[in-house]
Amino acid sequence: MMHNPIADRAKTAQFTGVLETTRPLLFDSTFLSKLEQLYLLSKKLFRGAHRAERRSRQIGSSLEFADYRNYTAGDDLRSIDWNIYGRLDRLFIKLFEQEQDLDISFLIDASGSMRWTPEIREPFDQPRLPKFDQARRIAASLAYIGLANLDRVNIHYFASRLEEDMGFCRGKSQFHKVLDFLREAPELEGETRLLPSLRTFAQRMKRRGLVFLLSDFFDPQGVEEGLAMLRYHQFEVHLIQILDPAEIRPGAAGDLRLIESETGTAFEITANDSLLNRYHAEIDAFLARLATFSLENGISYAQASTGVSFEDLVLRVLRDGRMIQ
Amino acid sequence: MTFLNLWAAGFVALAPVIVLLYLLKLKRRSQTVSTLMFWQRVLQESRRRAFFQKLRQFLSLLLHLLIFALILGALMRPVFDRFVRKGGSTVLILDTRARMQAAESDETPRFARARAQAAGLIRQTSGARQMALISANATPVVVTPFTDDEKALRQGLDSLAPTDAGGDIEPSIELAEYLLASRKGERRIVVLTDHAPGDAGRKRPLPVTYVACGRASDNVAITRFATRPLLNSPETSEVLLEMANFGRKPAKGNVEISFDGKLLDVKPYLLGAGERRLEIFPTVPRPSAHARGWLSARLDAPDALPVDNIAYAVLSAQPPSRVLLVTKGNWFLEKLLAADQGVSSELVEPDAFNPALASKFDAVILDQFLPPGFDLASAQQNFLFIKATPFGDGQTPLDQPLISDTDAQHPVMRLVNLQNITMLRAASLALPKLAGWNWQAPIRSFDHPMMITGERLGAGASRRVAALAIDITDSDLPLRVAFPLLMSNTIHWLAGEQTAEIAGALAGATIPLEANESISTEPEFPGTPSSNEKPKAVRSGFFQPLRNGFYRINRPDGAHWLAVNTFDAAESDLRAPDSPPDESPHPSLLPLANLASWPIWQYLAIAAFALFAGEWWLFHRRRTE
Repeated sequence: MMHNPIADRAKTAQFTGVLETTRPLLFDSTFLSKLEQLYLLSKKLFRGAHRAERRSRQIGSSLEFADYRNYTAGDDLRSIDWNIYGRLDRLFIKLFEQEQDLDISFLIDASGSMRWTPEIREPFDQPRLPKFDQARRIAASLAYIGLANLDRVNIHYFASRLEEDMGFCRGKSQFHKVLDFLREAPELEGETRLLPSLRTFAQRMKRRGLVFLLSDFFDPQGVEEGLAMLRYHQFEVHLIQILDPAEIRPGAAGDLRLIESETGTAFEITANDSLLNRYHAEIDAFLARLATFSLENGISYAQASTGVSFEDLVLRVLRDGRMIQ
Repeated sequence: MTFLNLWAAGFVALAPVIVLLYLLKLKRRSQTVSTLMFWQRVLQESRRRAFFQKLRQFLSLLLHLLIFALILGALMRPVFDRFVRKGGSTVLILDTRARMQAAESDETPRFARARAQAAGLIRQTSGARQMALISANATPVVVTPFTDDEKALRQGLDSLAPTDAGGDIEPSIELAEYLLASRKGERRIVVLTDHAPGDAGRKRPLPVTYVACGRASDNVAITRFATRPLLNSPETSEVLLEMANFGRKPAKGNVEISFDGKLLDVKPYLLGAGERRLEIFPTVPRPSAHARGWLSARLDAPDALPVDNIAYAVLSAQPPSRVLLVTKGNWFLEKLLAADQGVSSELVEPDAFNPALASKFDAVILDQFLPPGFDLASAQQNFLFIKATPFGDGQTPLDQPLISDTDAQHPVMRLVNLQNITMLRAASLALPKLAGWNWQAPIRSFDHPMMITGERLGAGASRRVAALAIDITDSDLPLRVAFPLLMSNTIHWLAGEQTAEIAGALAGATIPLEANESISTEPEFPGTPSSNEKPKAVRSGFFQPLRNGFYRINRPDGAHWLAVNTFDAAESDLRAPDSPPDESPHPSLLPLANLASWPIWQYLAIAAFALFAGEWWLFHRRRTE
C-alpha cells in the first residue's frame, strides 16, 4: 500500500495536539510515526465488512490471484483468461482475493486490581503508572495501529462482567473517539471474572476477529476456560498480561495486614524470607502456567510490566510476542 | 537453697501481666495488595502446619516466662544452704611477698592472678557469710576486718600491692586463726599464694585452703651485695656480690655495677643450674663528702622475678677523724697524720694543752707528755699515750726489749707485722685494774705490755685509751711498714670507726628510730630525678621498709642513706619444692574453680541475658511470634 507522506504528516500533527494534552494517554508525534509503521498480526483470515488492506476469505478485485472457475453467462468478459482459452479452447474466469478490513477488539480489565499501585517502593524506583493506565496506553497504541491500517477497532471494559463497548470505528479520524473512551473509563467494582465477561463478548460479536485481552489475569476462577471459549468461537486471541514489579517480587516484611484492592478482604501474614520465597514460587508458577497454556493453544502472550518503559514495551515486547510487526 | 532477698518473690505477681501482654493482639501494618490469591495459596500450606504455628507461639511465651523467672531468681539472690545454714566466716590471706611479683608465662604477675581470684571469693560475701582480708609479707596486716560489705573488701583488695619483702605465711595463718577464734559457724582460712609452706598438710585447728596462683619457674637473683673499705687503702672500697641461679638450666648474662647512677663496671657471669657465686669488685672509690654513695648492681638478663635482679648498697662517706697531736716535735707522727686522708689533725705544744681543747677532738695523741694531775677515770677523751703513760708500774725502763707476742685479732694490729723491730728502751707498763674497762695488751714483750688498749664497757659515752711503751724515735719502727699501719689503726680505733653504722637492711625488717631521727617512707632510686617536694618521713618509733631502694635517714650529724634489699633465697627460689618447673604446683594448692565460683544470682542473670538475646534473634528470624 502506498502512503502519502505529506498527508500522513498532516494527520499526525492533527492528533499530536490532542494526544499530548490527553493524560495519561500521552503520545508524542515521533512515537505515533513509529506506530504507523507497525501492523497488527493475524494468523487467521477473517471475513471483513469493508474493502480494506487486509486479505480475506472473500473473492474480490484485488491484484492477488485466488482461483479459476468456469465461465457462466453474465460474467464480466474482462475476467476471462484468454491465454487458457487459447490453449484449451474453454472459457475460464480468473478470480482475485478481496482485501477487507478486520475487526479488532480490545478487552481491558478495569477491576480494582488493575487500578492498584504499590504503597512501598524501593528508594530509587522510577515512578510507575498504575496497571490500568498502562493497559489503556497499550490499547491506544494498538488501536492507532489498527485504525492506521483501516481496520475496525472496538474497546470493551470488563471486571466481573462485560461493560458497554465503544462501538466499532474505522480510520485514523476515529482516534479521537478511542482516546475519549479510554480517558473516560468507568470505575468498575468487583473481582475479575473473565469467563462470564468473555462469554458475553463472544455472544455480542457478530463477526470474528482479533481480540486483545489486557489484564493481570488475577481471576481466582482461572482464565483457561474463558480463553478456550474464545478459541472455540474462532477468535484470534492475544493476551497482554500487565503486572507491576511489586506484584512479582514484593518487598513486604514484618507483621502485615494485607487488604485486597478488589474486595477489601484483609489477610494477616508475617512476611519473612521463607514466606516470600514461597510467594515467589507461587506467582512464578502462575505465570508459567499462563504462558504454557497460551503456547499450547496458539494464543499470543506477552507480559507487560509497568516497570518497562512504554515505548520499549510497544515496540519490542509486543513485537517479540508476535502481536505486531 | 536459701534466698537472701525474699521480698523479690513479690514480683511473681507480674507474671500474669506478661501473659496478658502476650495475649494482646499484635498490631499489624496495613498494606493494600492487588490480589490475595497467591498469599492465600501460600498460607494454605502454612495452615496445614498450624500445630507448629501454635508451638511457635507457645515457645515464645515460654521463653518470656523463663526470662522473667531467671530475673526473679537473680533478684532473690539464692545461695546454697551449706553456706548459710550456720553462717560462715572466711579469712582471705593474700600473699604480698616479693615472690608474688614473679611474672607467669603470659606476662601476668602472680599477684594479679591472686587478686583476681580473691575478687572472685569476695563476691561470695553475704550477710551470713562475712570475710576478712589479711596481707601476708614480712608481718601480717589485717587489711579489712570481718565484714559483709563487698565494696569495703574490694577496696581493701585494690589497695594491696606486692611488696619487696620476704617472710613467712605462718604468722598470717596464726593471725587468721586468732581472728576466727571467737567466730561461730563455718570457719575457713583461704590462702592465696604461689607457694604453700612445707608443713601445709599438717593438722590445724581450722581448715586452711591454699589456692594456687602461679607455676614454678626459673630465676636468677642477687642474694648479697655489700661494701667495705679496703684495709690497705681506706680511700677505696671493695664490693661483694653474690648471685644464685634458682633454675634447672644454666644462666648467663652481665652484672652491671653503677655508682650514683653511673655505670662503673660490667662483668659477665655464667651460672650453672642451682649454682651460687661470689664476685668481688676490689677497687671501688669511696665517695666524696658530697656524693650520695649509691651503689647498685643489676643483672641484665630478664627473668621471672625482676625485683631480685637489682641490689642496692651504700658507700658511706666517712668524715675524717679529728686528731689532736700534743708534742714538742715528732716529725714521723706529723708526716703520718698529714698523709692520712681519713684524719684531720692539729698540733699543739704540751704547754698549750688543756682539757677543754681536747674535748673538740675524736682522739688526742700525747707524745711523751702526760698532763699534770691526769686522772684516767675522769677524763672524757680518747687518748693515745706514747712513752709517758698513766700505766707505768714504777719499775725501771726495759732495755732493748723484744716483741714476743702480738694479738693479730685486735683492731689496732690489722696487717701489722712487728717482726725484727729493734727498740732501744721501753717504759715498763702494767695493765691497770680500773673496773668497767676492757684492758688488753696487743703487743707484749714477754710479761711486759708494749702496748695497752682499754675500752670502757657499759652504758654512757664510749671511751678508748691506748698506750705505747716506747718512744718511736728510740726504735726503727718509723722506718717499717708496720708504723703507719699501727698508728692509723690505733687512731681510727680510738676515733670510733669500729662501730660503723649499718647502711643496709632487708625489706620488711623493722628499723628502730631514735627520738631525733627520721626516715623517708618512700625509697629513691638511681636515675630518678629527686623531687623538690619534701618526702614523707617517719620521725620516731619503728619503720618497716617494704620496697627496695635507698631511704634517707636524717640524724643530728646529717643525712645518711639506707639501702634496702630483698636478699631472701626463699623469695627468689620460684621452684616449687620437690617439683621441677612447668609441672603442677605444690600438691596442697587447690585449683581456683573449687572456690572462686560466682554467686548463683550472677549465673541466673547471665542466663537471662543469653535467653533474651536468643529470643530477640528468634523473633527477628520469625521463628517466634
